[in-house]
This record gives sequence, C-alpha cells and structure tokens, in this order.
Amino acid sequence: MNLQFVFMQLFNGLILGSLYVLLALGLSIIFGMLGIINFAHGAFFMLGAYAAYTITSYIIPDYWLALISVPILMAAFGSLCEIVLFRRLYDLPPLYIMLLTFGLMLVLQDAARLVFGSMGVPFGTPKSLTGMVNLGFMYYPSYRLFLIAVTSCAAFAVWLFLSKTKLGCIIRAGTDNPKMLEALGINISRTMTLVVGLGTGLAGLAGVLAAPIQNVRPLMGMDLLVDCFVVVVIGGMGSLGGSVVGGLIVGQIIAIGVMVWPPMANTLIYLFMAAFLLVRPRGLFGRESFHE
Amino acid sequence: MPRSQFLTLVTFFGLALVFPLVAPYEALATEILIFALLAMSYDLVLGYGGMLSFGHAAFFGIGAYTTGILLIRVFPSVPVALTGAICVSGLAAAFVGYASIRRHGIYFTMVTLAFAQMFYFIAFKWTGLTGGDDGLQGVPRPNIGPIDIHPEINLYYFILALVIVSMFIIVRVVNSPLGATLQALRENRNRAMSVGYNVDRFKLVAFVISGCFAGLAGGLYALLLNMVPLGSLHWTTSGEVVVMNITGGMATLFGPVVGAVSIILLRDIISNYTDAWSLFMGLIFMMAVFGFRDGIVGFFQNKIMPTAAKFLGQVFPKKH
Amino acid sequence: MERKWHAILTACLLSIAFFSLVNTPVVAEPLKISVLTDMSGPYAGITGANVEAAKMAIADFGGKILGNPIEFVYRDHMCKPDVANQKAKELYEKEQVDVIFDCPNSAAGLAVANQAKIHKKPFIAIGSGTTRLSGPDCNRYTFKWAYNDYMLATAVGLWAADNLGKKWYTITADYAWGHDLLHHFSEALKAKGGTLLGNEMVALGTSDFSPYILKAMNAKPEVLVLLNAGKDAVNSTKQAMEFGLKKKVKIVHALLFIEDIKASGDIFAGDYVTGAWYWKSDNPGSKEFVEKWKKQFNKPPNWMNAATYSAVTQYLKAVERAKSKDALPVIKALEGHEFRDLLANPGKIRAEDHMEVGNAYILRAKNPGEIKEDWDFFDIVGVIPPDKAYQNPKDTGCKMDTAE
Repeated sequence: MNLQFVFMQLFNGLILGSLYVLLALGLSIIFGMLGIINFAHGAFFMLGAYAAYTITSYIIPDYWLALISVPILMAAFGSLCEIVLFRRLYDLPPLYIMLLTFGLMLVLQDAARLVFGSMGVPFGTPKSLTGMVNLGFMYYPSYRLFLIAVTSCAAFAVWLFLSKTKLGCIIRAGTDNPKMLEALGINISRTMTLVVGLGTGLAGLAGVLAAPIQNVRPLMGMDLLVDCFVVVVIGGMGSLGGSVVGGLIVGQIIAIGVMVWPPMANTLIYLFMAAFLLVRPRGLFGRESFHE
Repeated sequence: MPRSQFLTLVTFFGLALVFPLVAPYEALATEILIFALLAMSYDLVLGYGGMLSFGHAAFFGIGAYTTGILLIRVFPSVPVALTGAICVSGLAAAFVGYASIRRHGIYFTMVTLAFAQMFYFIAFKWTGLTGGDDGLQGVPRPNIGPIDIHPEINLYYFILALVIVSMFIIVRVVNSPLGATLQALRENRNRAMSVGYNVDRFKLVAFVISGCFAGLAGGLYALLLNMVPLGSLHWTTSGEVVVMNITGGMATLFGPVVGAVSIILLRDIISNYTDAWSLFMGLIFMMAVFGFRDGIVGFFQNKIMPTAAKFLGQVFPKKH
Repeated sequence: MERKWHAILTACLLSIAFFSLVNTPVVAEPLKISVLTDMSGPYAGITGANVEAAKMAIADFGGKILGNPIEFVYRDHMCKPDVANQKAKELYEKEQVDVIFDCPNSAAGLAVANQAKIHKKPFIAIGSGTTRLSGPDCNRYTFKWAYNDYMLATAVGLWAADNLGKKWYTITADYAWGHDLLHHFSEALKAKGGTLLGNEMVALGTSDFSPYILKAMNAKPEVLVLLNAGKDAVNSTKQAMEFGLKKKVKIVHALLFIEDIKASGDIFAGDYVTGAWYWKSDNPGSKEFVEKWKKQFNKPPNWMNAATYSAVTQYLKAVERAKSKDALPVIKALEGHEFRDLLANPGKIRAEDHMEVGNAYILRAKNPGEIKEDWDFFDIVGVIPPDKAYQNPKDTGCKMDTAE
C-alpha cells in the first residue's frame, strides 16, 4: 500500500463524506424542527438526480443549469409536501408523520421506476469537468474536486444563513424548542415549510452532485439513507455542526475500512456507532433531553 | 383479563379457524398468522413500552435461523427447535435491550437499528452457518409426535394453536402489574420514577418478552418456508412491523394483528394485478395516516362503531 | 357492555372485509403453465418481459396441446426469496399449474426448486444462475436453462485469456454469487496459463468503487474483470472511466444485458461479456422471433427473454412427445433431449444434472460510433462450445435421483 493510495483514499472518503454531509444536514434540521425521522429523504435525493437527468437530456443539456435549478425545484417540492401533507399532522404524535414519509418514500421510488424504468438512466460527467488534475502529490479526477468545492460552499452558505440571518435564528430557536417559538408569537408553520424546503433542497443538491459518479436508479437513495442515520446519530441529533463532522467521520471510516478490511467496510460504521453511543450517549454535539 | 379483550381473542380464534378456507391460498394464511404474532409482540415494545425499536427483525431473523440450524444440523424436532428459537432470541433481546434501553427517544431507535444491522451483516458473512445471501435452504418439517405438518393446512392449525397460546400470554402480560407499570412509564416517566419504579428494568423485561415471541414467530416462519431468507433480518422487515403497528393501531394488541392481516393480504392481492404494488402500498400508508389516525381498529371503534351503535339504537330502542 | 358490542361489531365488519377480498377457487385445467419472475424489483427491467416471452411461445405453439387449451398465469416475486417460495406454493397448490418457469435471484431459485421437489411438479429455472441448482441442490423436478454462473465466468475467461492478455485483476461482489464467479474465473485462467495479479472483495451496498479501481491501477493488469451486476457494474465501470483506467486496460464483465447499456450511455463501450444469445444471431427461428418481438414491444428481446421462449417451447414439445402432462413422463421426455432452436444451436438437456447446455457467445460492447441501429449494442466476437462452456456433469456434485 503506497502513500499515494492512502492520500487518494482519504480524498475518496472526503467525497463520500461530502454527500453524507449534505444529506445529513437536511435530515438533521428536519428532525430538529419536526422531531421525525424523514424516511423520504433518500427518495428526495434520488428525485434530485432524476430531475437533473430530465433537465440535461430533455430541456437544456447544461449541467450547470441543473446544478442551480434542481436544488431550487426540490426545495419547492419539499415545501409543497410540508404544506399539503405534513402540516395536517402536527397535532399527532410524530410517529404518524414518520409513517407518512415511509409511504411517501415508497410512492416516489415506485413512481420513478414507472416513469424512468428500473434499470436507471445514463448520466455522464459534465464535459468541462472530465479528466484528472495534478495536485502535486497525486492525480485526482477534476469532477471529484469540484464536488468537494460545491459541498463546502453549500455547507458554508447554510451555516451563514442559519447563524447570520434573522430567519436562520428563528430556525435554530425552533430546532431547540418549537413550543417556545410559538409562545413568542412567531409563525411556526411558515418556519416549518422553510425548514422542510431547505432540507429537501440540500438532498436535491446531493442528488445532482452524485449523478455523474453513481448509478441513477430508483433505489439509489435507500442505501445511503441508513448510512445517513448513522451520521446524524454520531454527530448528535439536531446539531448542524454535528452533521458536518459526523458526515466527514463516517466517510473516513468507510474509506479507511476499505483499506484495512474491505469486506467489513460497511459493517464498521454500525460497530462504531454502537460503541460510540455507549461512550457518548447523545453523539458528538447532541444536547440533553432533546426530543427524548 | 377484561371481557372485551377475551371476546376479541375468541372472535379472532373463530375467524382464524375458517381463514384458510377463504384466504387466497393456504400458505398465505399461515404467513399472515405468523406476522400477526410478530406485530402483536412488537406492540409490547412500541404500544405499551413506548419504545420505537427499529431492530425487531433481528429477533425474528435470529429465531428463524436458530430453528433452521437446529432442525438441519442438530436434532429434527420441532418443539426443541422452537424452544431454542425462543431462548436464543430472548438472549439476543436481553443483550440488545441492556445496551440500548438507557438511550431514549431517537437514540434508542438508532441503537436498535445499529444492532439489527450488525446481526444482518453477521448472517450475511457467516455463509458456513447461515448460507449467506442464498438463504438457509432445506429446512425440514419433521412430524410432531403423530401430527404430520407437511400439508400446509396441518401446519396452519398447528401454528394457529401456538399463536393463540402466545396471544393469550401477551394479553395476560399486558393486564399484569408489569403491563400497568409499563403504561404508567409511557405516560409519565418522571412520575413513575419518583414513585420508585426502576424504569429501565421494566422496559427491559417487556423488551425481552417481546423478543421471545418475535423469535417464536421467526421459528414458525422457517417452518413455513422450508428455508430462512436473509431478508428476514433486514431493516425493512423491522420497518414493516412498525408500519403494521401504526396502521393497525398501537397499544390495542389486536390492532397490530389487523394491521398485519391487511398489509400482507393487500400486498398479495395488489401484486397479482399490477407491478406498481409498492406505489399503492405507499398511497395506502399515506391515506391511513390521514384517514384513520388511530389505526384501523381505532377507526372502527371511534368512527364506525358509534355511528353504527347510534343507528342500531334508533332501530332497536333500549327498553327502560 | 357497549364496549363488548363494539368489539363484536368490529370483528364482524372486518370478517366481511376479508370475505369480500377473497378470490374464488379455480378448477384445474388441461395444461397450465406459469412464470414466476421479478416484475417490480431490481431485475424487473431484464426479466419482467419473460412473461410476454412465455405468452408468445404458447401462442406460436398454437395455444393448444394434446387437444386441450394451454392456460397461462404469472406471479411477481418482487425479487424476494420468501415471496417466491409462497407464490410457488400458490401456483402449485391453488392454481394447480403443471410447471413453473424462470425465477431470478439465487435464493429464490433454490427455494422454488425445493417446492418443486415437495410438490413433485417440474420447475424450469432460467433467471436464477446459481450452479447449486444443477449441482449439490439438484433434484429430479428442477431443470436449469440457458446459462449458469460457471458458464458466465468460464466462457469469457477462456476466451479473454487467449485474446486479451494474460495479466488479470478482479473486483468481486462479496457474496455467494461473486465468490462462485471468482472461483470459476480463476480456474479458467489457470487452465490458460494466465496470472491473477490481485482480487478485491467489495462489500454489499458499496457505491464508491474508486479505492478498488485505484488498487487495480497500481497492479497494472492487462484485463480488469468486474464480477458484479446491475448497479454495481454501472458504478464500478463509471468510476473506472473517471479515473482513466478504462483507457489502459480491457474490461470484462460478468453479466450485461442490452438494457444495461441502454440505461447507462457509453460507459460500457469496448467491454466484453458472456451471453447465452444475442438478437442478431442467426439460429433457426431467431429472426422470426426478434421481428415479432420488435413489432410488439418496439425493442429487441434480451437473452433472458429468448431463453424463456426456448424453455417454454421445448417444454411444450416434451409434453407432446410424452403424450401426457404428468410430471414424470414429461421429465423423462426432457432428459437427454437434443434440439436446435433460436437459443441453442445445438442444444442438449443433460440427463445427469438437468442442465440445458448450448453455445456461449462472447459479446463485445460497440463503441458509440459503431452503433448503426438502435439497440444493436454488441458484436459477437467468439463462440465457446457447450463442452467447454459448461462443467463436466461428473464434477457438478449433482446426485440425481432417477427413481420412477
């Protein structure tokens, strides 16, 4: 095993981690606000990839347009789901919204299969990003570097939005204690719409970014979803910093696992999670009595 | 045992006796029975214990594998194999429960999921013992004393007997002091703690009992299929059990049974007509959330029954 | 008291709901054929149309046999072995079918083979590729048609060692199927004096193959073998292309269909794979079948569809030869039978292990510029005869019960 391979592998862990970060951020803010595990999150990711495919092959063959428009479209779709579906169930235990998202997941996945077929659809690397870049110590595919850059920007933008704007402040407060927010006279339902929209938009962005390096298929989100649960738990439920750190950690665990003990690479994260929770019951940045 | 529950149990028994005659096919009736037991066992955890476990498939699968391995390799006796399944699943539940019950809310859910995933990967990798991805093939159905359980209908009634006994025990558990304590814990954990209950121990007991019955259901599943599919350990099986409970109605004991019956029956029937069965199942789950928020049983009890009772009351006025 | 009435009323209403959902039983008919396949799961895009292939075979046969009509039913097993098992019981017991065809997914195939043995009715496995079906788990009622994992790995292995290079690297899906393929692949390689530079076992559910691709690149092989299928095949090839490996080595796949290529653009261009048939082949009856299929579905059939057509046709011919639809006479008419049809030219149903063997075709995926006609994605670059493509029946480990 040479040093270059180790470096490349750490970068690959970063790629995987980036996708986890985007998905986990969305999963985590939705969890914080609504107190539910959103099973449809993987399906939103899948839908993002299919939306990118539809735009690039039927409307305008431009990856950049898809990169910008798909997250916006998905955010709108998420908000719509919140207004039409989730909102009617807030007076019930969160379990019911969870069942709803489970049903939504099945519906979206099967709808994608019926429309696009179970075999998946072709999606190539955008022309301007093919090839390798010389980083001095190794060559690395330029699209992957681009993916890391976009994810970092997106995560930074989300952080700016949540920490510097008033709206972000409200969301953070709502994640902490939705009841208190309502008591203060803030329109909580509009905030909820925004949060679900933001989470879904991030899942859509992850979908567009993953499409050129993964197989665009109806079930592509399902495998990632369970991994993302692990990310959110390790990071701490409802903590945004936790999602970022957790995503990067899980990405690296898998990458290192592949180097050390390939057949067990995927089992390793569950072992790690179980062990981790025994030491730190609330993950890295989870707070006490938060949705417990 | 309250009269209403006793009556429901008797009604269930009556319906179950004729069920194979009307079900699409006999083996499906048996499958439904097994999942009814599995869903009911899970009600102890979710409905009464208030614990959203996402690892119930682990105990189901472990029970199935234990039964299969005992029947193939050790001793071809159904009672021995099923007892083994109950014990091993109970032990596994004790282990998982001990490690996870101190976690609350969503963390509990995730720890149970993590353990279940580990069991899944162990079964997947340990090909020598479990057959891995090919499943554990060729599980025999030896005679039980004079009873030949090879014909599907005989197996159905044998399993029905076991399921009825199990349900009777579960109903007794729920109505015991343990059940009452569990409900008190679910409603107000802090009060129960301040009264002096050891919350975690009660929850653990419920978790283990539930795991035992899940293991029994798994063992019966291995007998039904003559094999153990690896999917019995997969997290989607856990998800299905959760869905059965919510759609049927939690903490009603027979709600989950109704949930299991309707979901399996509907899936089987829909899949004969269209390959988009999973789309329809998804739509049904979504409608279930909006349509009957308290599950199917709750829907009947709260919406249909009062209307029907009112109607009957008008037709046959009470004599004073 | 009111609660009690509620409970009873609930029970009554629910029972009415059950009764109204129930189908009425069907009386057994002269000859009933069934297809049990994946129509909604991961293989649906490949095997779903097998139902249509069987229907076409029955229609082409005339729809009648021994003076009685041929009936047809199908079931979706959703790619789940437990559902396959239950549906097989429904087909044999409730629907009273005389034979079940297809059943992709190894675990599902093995489960249905066991049900065939229990119910003493034939099962002709097509989609399920495991060598166990014609090996240790073989039984008198189960036949394996058109291909198995041994043939997939060995045929292309033998051919590639002669034509592509001697230095190899493999990336294997880490479960029973992948292990089986790897074993047969390395045997074929050893026989041809090739060397395996290294192998990577890839865990289930892996979506990032780049580390394995990197390791393979470091070893500098002449041929890279991807022993995976479906989404893993797409992901690994996509990433091999991304890292520039595809320019340096030849890539060999375990399983590729025309639908895979249609669904993934040009990533497979120039790669090699074994196929049991190709729609441009000129076997007897092949052209007519393809024409009819294209007219109906606006695309050519894949080799699973052709195999289903062949299996159903050969079964019907065997019923005619046996002059009976009973299991044992039909099985005897199938055992050892030699024939030529659209799929197998020549074909033989070996009596020793119930494996139907024919030529294996080595297919090379065309480059985008070479594709003149839509769906014409492959060139046939080699043909491996049955005696080389399939394991000697003495070595399969099958102990066939020949009792009457």
